[in-house]
Amino acid sequence: MAVAADQHRTAGPILKLALATIIGLPVLAGLAGAVLPAMGYFPPLGGKAISLDAVRAVLTEPGLARSINLTVFTGGVAAVISTLLALLLPAVLFGTSRFGWLRRYLAPVLSLPHVTVAVGMLFLLQPSGWLMRLISPVLTGLDRPPTFAIVPDDHGLALVLGLVAKEVPFLVLMVLAALGQIDTTRLMLVARSLGYGRLRGWVMVIIPQLWPRLRLPVMIVLVFSLSVVDMALVLAPSTPAPLAVRTLDWYQDPDLNRRFAASAAAVLQLLICLAGIGVMLLIEYLARCWGCAVARRGHRNPHLRRGLATLLPVVITLGGVVPLAIAVLGMAAALLWSVAAVWRFPDSLPSGLTMRYWMGLTGDLGIITLQSMFLGMVSSALAVVLAVIWLEHRRPPGAGFEKMIFLPLLVPQIGFLFGLQVVLLWLGVDGLIMAIIWAHLLFVFPYVWLSLAPAWRAFPENMLILAASLGQSRWQRLFQVRLPMLLTPLLTSFAVGFSVSSALYLPTIFAGNARVTTLTVEAVTLATGAGRQALGVATGMQMVLPLIVFISVAAISRWRFRGLSGIS
Amino acid sequence: MTISNFRLAGAIIAMLWLFTGTAHAEKSVVHFNAWGGSPAINAYIQWVAEEVKSRHGITLRHVKLTDTASAVSRILAEKTAGRDTDGSVDLIWVNGENFASLKRNGLLQQQGWAFDLENFQLTDADELPGIVTDFATPTDGLESPWGRAQLVFGHDTADLASPPRSAAALREWILAHPGRFTFPQPPDFVGTTFLKQILVELTADQAVLQQPADTADHEAVLEPLWDWLAATTPSLWRGGRHYPANYTEMVQLLGDREISIAMAFNPAEFSNNISSGVLADTTRSYIHENGTISNVHFVAIPFNSGAADAARKVANFLLSPEAQARKANPEIWGDPTVLSMARLGADGRALFSSLPRGIATLSPAELDPGLPEPHPSWIPLIERGWLERHGSGS
Repeated sequence: MAVAADQHRTAGPILKLALATIIGLPVLAGLAGAVLPAMGYFPPLGGKAISLDAVRAVLTEPGLARSINLTVFTGGVAAVISTLLALLLPAVLFGTSRFGWLRRYLAPVLSLPHVTVAVGMLFLLQPSGWLMRLISPVLTGLDRPPTFAIVPDDHGLALVLGLVAKEVPFLVLMVLAALGQIDTTRLMLVARSLGYGRLRGWVMVIIPQLWPRLRLPVMIVLVFSLSVVDMALVLAPSTPAPLAVRTLDWYQDPDLNRRFAASAAAVLQLLICLAGIGVMLLIEYLARCWGCAVARRGHRNPHLRRGLATLLPVVITLGGVVPLAIAVLGMAAALLWSVAAVWRFPDSLPSGLTMRYWMGLTGDLGIITLQSMFLGMVSSALAVVLAVIWLEHRRPPGAGFEKMIFLPLLVPQIGFLFGLQVVLLWLGVDGLIMAIIWAHLLFVFPYVWLSLAPAWRAFPENMLILAASLGQSRWQRLFQVRLPMLLTPLLTSFAVGFSVSSALYLPTIFAGNARVTTLTVEAVTLATGAGRQALGVATGMQMVLPLIVFISVAAISRWRFRGLSGIS
Repeated sequence: MTISNFRLAGAIIAMLWLFTGTAHAEKSVVHFNAWGGSPAINAYIQWVAEEVKSRHGITLRHVKLTDTASAVSRILAEKTAGRDTDGSVDLIWVNGENFASLKRNGLLQQQGWAFDLENFQLTDADELPGIVTDFATPTDGLESPWGRAQLVFGHDTADLASPPRSAAALREWILAHPGRFTFPQPPDFVGTTFLKQILVELTADQAVLQQPADTADHEAVLEPLWDWLAATTPSLWRGGRHYPANYTEMVQLLGDREISIAMAFNPAEFSNNISSGVLADTTRSYIHENGTISNVHFVAIPFNSGAADAARKVANFLLSPEAQARKANPEIWGDPTVLSMARLGADGRALFSSLPRGIATLSPAELDPGLPEPHPSWIPLIERGWLERHGSGS
């Protein structure tokens, strides 16, 4: 970008307009579609005057306070734990031979849809789950399941656990990307040589540099945790359920007048997310004050905290490993159920195996798999291309635009999807593959951006200067120098985009008029009515495609860079 | 760079159009929006699709819903956007609240087409009033009957030899066996139907439930239900703090023996679950002494369907003796017919009398009497009242 003189000043506005149309328009229209009905304006249902009835209806809803408490507790705790673990796990492993594990073992879990992880946890941990079956009746003396509740529990801890299992891999990946941009090894060496311990050095020296690059991902995780629907349906208490789940219920109420209350709840959800972000920034401010004060005092305290210093890494490692182990074992339990002919409690294993439930899918499965693959491939490829154009552009859209692309992730989905549906109908493109790709792009693009932009910006510019001095044109520099060297981040961001696309449920339904089925749509449909075997099959189906993409991406990049080191 | 930008954008758009395979409505393509959570029902609809293809050249596409209300809301979105033709829904599986909502908001074909279907002559509204009165709302021919449902209970005889057969007996049983009974969480329709069942059993004057709730002293009418729930809820599965999400989850709990009694809204359900291995073969079903709630489910055509003629042909085929008998077969689906045996010819009757019946399925005589659904205006009161008392934390 900085290499050659700027020649084409007209290009900027075109890109900006395109981005605003592709991303800004649907979100804003969608938001209007939530805010107006919340204030009583929705002509198709006879709402033509502004009133506060809908707001009042929501505020007097029974158990609303408990729903909000549950939302704030589960979302807040999950975001805090995930962030702490993501910041500290690399510290514990940095410089050890296990550091490489982070990327290798976290990426596959990252590719699993949230609802898949939730279902797996249920299969594993509920009173009649696999764990109880494994230890019964030998250890428990039980020949029928106990009556106490483990998952879901009364406080939403299972939901917190599930969220942590899914968010830690995402945030760690973001941390790893950010670490690539700062001179971690040397900074740590300096900190250690100044007498700071591994953890303290990390907290004092590395985290302040990491944080600005991590702020946005953490915000996304916070908003996601505060507004999650699919995972909460499986793991959260239901009497009452968290706010997002109840909002969806109100949207789906046969009495269409509940739409007004649903919209008001969506706005409330939005306010909670905004408040959450506010609290997060406050915590950031306080942490900075505390950090500066401690740093200025310069205490090392190697003796005082020795006990803590040995305990803390263990706790952090366990915090990273246990949720992952539960997620993976849950997958195993789900797959086992998918081939179980009959599996009565308290048998440890099914008493017979069958492929019947997998066979039952063959009718449409081929088409559905192809559609899911097509959607995932096209939307993430488009997102990568769009991100490359943006990043390579001589006059890239400003920071404001960069914030805009995260709007779809910072606004609760349920709030703007109905409005988006109306926009698509109005354009006459609803139900077209193009519309679904568009809707997917809204969610895929920000994640692709998050995993590509840091690597792109950390690219050694002197390589390009060197190439330019050797007479390479702009395009040659892009296609022969930059892109090949950034192959791994490009592929990774593609894989991340693919897994985001394949996990999307509500956007697929809303934009596709429910006429286009993907594996996730099929899985959620089955989950509402079919038995454990069908649910196991659906879970298996959902995890297969993203896993294949992740594994092939890793294989391609390893094959491409075989024998080389130092390129990531 | 400018030119390249345009070229690139052009290429992207061209690529998108290439892949835009889905065409807008054709007159012979019927998008049938129906709950898709049951592989057995999905397979039956697939059979219907093959039949209407070969008989009428109609392409029937099953749009699998998780929740019928989502299709209702899609039709509403279309009305919002002024899409008055070529709607995305041509035929929808519906009844009760969703039908009342569609009808009230003018989202259905306006002329009563259902009474004019050829096969509607094979039904008898005197024998089965539910085919013209859906949850006390007159259908006015805006929907065509498809099948019937009735609340049945199931128990494992190896665990529970003689189950409680009335609301009062059930209450005593629950108190004596804490943690072993539950129902799907309202507003799941099976859960709500269970609450309606208890209400009907505890109400002396049935006529009052057939009227809109605001014409009665509804608080007094509902009081016995709330008393019943207040007494039993602490002794429910997980102390009444958590409920299964739907009846499939509940049947699974019966199979795992977490609970001792389950319920379903299809008389063949327990037999089906025995053959699929979810339930032990010692499971049997029963209804309460004074009968259980039964209703009829329908298919309706939205106001903006672009294939209304074809959708009517499908509705008519769904009412044919052949389609109804296949649907009633427990090995296929097990959904009872809406046709009147007296109006069928000998051939038609033979189709039904030769049907197999599962070991846990009650005979039509054992299913008698079926009780009518209360007026739909009671549903929000029941659901809201339950939510306030037991669904929103204590």
